Amino acid sequence: MIGGGMAFAMLPLLRRIYAGDPVRLSEAVARHLGAFNSHPYLAGLAVGALARAELEGESPERIERFRTALRGPLGTVGDRLIWASWRPACLLIAIAAFGLGLGPIWSVILFLVSYNVGHIVIRIWGFRHGWHEGLGVSKTLHERWLDVVPRLLAPVILLLLGLDAVLLSRQVLDVVAWHGFFAGLALVAAFVALMAFRWPRRTGRIAVALVLSIPLVWLVLAGTSG
Amino acid sequence: MPLGEIPLHTTSWLILVALGGILAVDSVSWPQIMISRPLVSATVGGWIVGSPSAGFLVGALLELMSLRHPPFGAARYPDTGPAGLVAGCAYASVGTDSLGSLVAAILAGWAVGWIGAVSVQLRRRGNERLLTPESELASRPELLEKRHKTAVRLDIFRGALLTAGFLVPAIVAAAWVVDQPESGLATIWGAALLVTALAAAAGAGGRTSSFGIVGWPLLFVGAALGGLIAGIVG
Repeated sequence: MIGGGMAFAMLPLLRRIYAGDPVRLSEAVARHLGAFNSHPYLAGLAVGALARAELEGESPERIERFRTALRGPLGTVGDRLIWASWRPACLLIAIAAFGLGLGPIWSVILFLVSYNVGHIVIRIWGFRHGWHEGLGVSKTLHERWLDVVPRLLAPVILLLLGLDAVLLSRQVLDVVAWHGFFAGLALVAAFVALMAFRWPRRTGRIAVALVLSIPLVWLVLAGTSG
Repeated sequence: MPLGEIPLHTTSWLILVALGGILAVDSVSWPQIMISRPLVSATVGGWIVGSPSAGFLVGALLELMSLRHPPFGAARYPDTGPAGLVAGCAYASVGTDSLGSLVAAILAGWAVGWIGAVSVQLRRRGNERLLTPESELASRPELLEKRHKTAVRLDIFRGALLTAGFLVPAIVAAAWVVDQPESGLATIWGAALLVTALAAAAGAGGRTSSFGIVGWPLLFVGAALGGLIAGIVG
């Protein structure tokens, strides 16, 4: 969230706090137009805390220091919790559900509902904590669950990635009504998935080698059987 | 392919272009409920032209490819809303029994995603201009509100423009591939390419989503479980 968005989000609160005092309102808006960055879902934590600080008449210098100190951790914690954990987990569960036979529309609904339950809870939690704790909100970012949830989800995501890669491979082979080579190709998929995870720099070469060699093997086999 | 033979009604095109704008604005502006993910946008694109399953398959493949590009910090990442919509619609509208059209739709979606990423950067530069000078915005808060809303509207327009520009070319490309004579070699090569890319995307996505976890055995267990399920289901 850039400064303009932050100031826009705080404007309704600032208007109430500085009602009837356009000069102080203008000064407050100027403070919050400055550079700012955060994960969007945790921005409410900063909005709540900064609005509380404005309400309690904290000095502009202290508010500026607080803004600067908060923006790095809000981005890091949010990226790890949401973009790297919660979102992939919900997406991969929906893809697995489709691979196991759930209809496409229901699979999408499953993703949107499960993801947004977490999304909305985090937004509400962030704003409430920010508002209640004001400039002391930084200790909230050390709460245990913010670290535990990504750690718990990481192995689940890996398991689901392997599962989904193979289930989607089957869907791809269904397109060409081609089931005979499924087991072999699923093994190729699992193998390359492992290689991509374990040795990412070599993955490209291995993938290219496999793609080039499979048709050649097929030609040789076709030649010998004919 | 002559324009008159493109399997897309004008009404559907208009709906898809409008949707492209809505999906684009979801990813960075509002409401960020992830309708912009390719899984959702491609399924919707497929559904509008009659095959949500085809759209979902394209969306799931694009989703695995996108896992490698999360929006951490200032990283550039594909604009997946219009990309998924275009890809899902292209594949579903030309028939779902061609591996070539599936590959063409995915490539079209991936290209639209990265062209969209460039357009997002250009739009962000535009936002910087829109939100200056700060002194004027601070003294007139109503101007700040107006320009913020203008920035969101420009984002909707950007997404609609992206969809309008690439939807028909993507369908034409997929239809052209379907029209080509298929050979056994092309089929086996295409399937191997797609499955290998899929597996590589899954592995790379695992690295991105699992900080500090040495979890390659889990990836393998998941794949084995998938193979087992696929074997049982048939």
